[in-house]
Amino acid sequence: MGDLTWWCVALDRPWSWSWIPYPGIWAASILPMVLYTIAVRRHGEVDWKKARRFYAGMVVFWVASDWPLGTLGAGYMASAHMLQFLLYSLAAAPLLMLGTPEWMARAITDRLRITRVVEWLGGNYIMCAILYNALLVATHAPGTVEVLRRNQLGSALMDVAWVLAGVILWLPIISPLGRREGAPWGRMLYLFTATGIVAIAPASFLTFTTTPVYALYELAPRVTSLTAREDQQIAGIIMKLATIPFVWSTIAVMWFRWAKQEGAM
Amino acid sequence: MFALVVVAVLALAACGAPVPTSQLQGVTIENPVPKPSFTLTDMYGEPYDFAAETEGKVALLFFGYTYCPDICPTHMAQVSEVLEQYPDLARKVQLVFVSVDPDRDTPERLQQWVGGFHPSFVGLTGTPGELEAAQKAANVPVAYKEGEEENYTVAHAGWVIAYAPDGLSYSIYPNGTRQTQWVNDLKILAEME
Repeated sequence: MGDLTWWCVALDRPWSWSWIPYPGIWAASILPMVLYTIAVRRHGEVDWKKARRFYAGMVVFWVASDWPLGTLGAGYMASAHMLQFLLYSLAAAPLLMLGTPEWMARAITDRLRITRVVEWLGGNYIMCAILYNALLVATHAPGTVEVLRRNQLGSALMDVAWVLAGVILWLPIISPLGRREGAPWGRMLYLFTATGIVAIAPASFLTFTTTPVYALYELAPRVTSLTAREDQQIAGIIMKLATIPFVWSTIAVMWFRWAKQEGAM
Repeated sequence: MFALVVVAVLALAACGAPVPTSQLQGVTIENPVPKPSFTLTDMYGEPYDFAAETEGKVALLFFGYTYCPDICPTHMAQVSEVLEQYPDLARKVQLVFVSVDPDRDTPERLQQWVGGFHPSFVGLTGTPGELEAAQKAANVPVAYKEGEEENYTVAHAGWVIAYAPDGLSYSIYPNGTRQTQWVNDLKILAEME
């Protein structure tokens, strides 16, 4: 039991496809689902459509955090690290938000005494875009990755920060506390700008720099035939291009709903 | 006055002034060590005279073994990725991997493993006595087996020794040396003729 780790962390040994148990990740994935189920049953009628979204969000969280993706991202491959970020911020976070009923969201934010802050953020495109991109840049900085991924608490903090970044990003679009009033084109423009502008700089840097940026992944035993630089280039491409299907499909849905409301269809 | 200084610096550079080793990012050696002289068997079964074969090049000498789980493949991958990225540098650098596990590292195994990193890399082997002499000549601790089972490991020097084209070693590169450091130092060493 001495070697048991509760969260994915950088390992000083060659990669192996041998399964590694992470009890902390299981607890963090299962406990919210259990508490959610108890809470919605106690509250009365269960909206199973919302519940399925919440469960789906937790499953995405688990897949992104646990072995093998979590282990690869924690210490072996920059591309896995980037894939984790996308799953947390662009899939898990919006699914969890879509699956959270307003009464539950209010109960949580009231208890944390952050309801007014969350409501204010949900109505503030600029602040959400700034905070999301600040978290993106800070958590992908080589120094941050090097320090946080070397210990379990830091690694868990980074994963939580990515979910939090996703929640902030999606607040003006799908806040469980009610979304911002205003024209849908504003939300579309916000989503496009928040995810597509700042990320270009680090994504391009990762793609085009001649030597690896992250010491952690550069010096890790290679998992595949990819070189450290090729792995980093894939990470840069994921950072830039993999957001497109998430963001543009959301913008398309918003546009069609808007057009339908306006009677243009 | 500034122009005079610039002219003086350029004139010195043109005269082949030594490149300051203080710019090296590896672990520098206070008193440069001459390149060792030893002959082992290469991965094609031919004799390989280390000093003669690497003359005029930056020679990177590394004692390891192909079943090494961590340090050896990482060192080899790091150098090979740098040389792939800088083909001009690759023409001036010769990495020589000396196996300290002659029981398992046959010439065929060395061809497959060493050649898999970079086509220019050379793998050497020899008798236990020859390998011990080569390690002593290079001033590294003599490697030894750890464990009796089939999948034993070998304790060995975990650093790469770099010899400039002038035949002297100014620096060594421990495990954890980054590619930016390799690029910086190989460029400097390649000019130290």
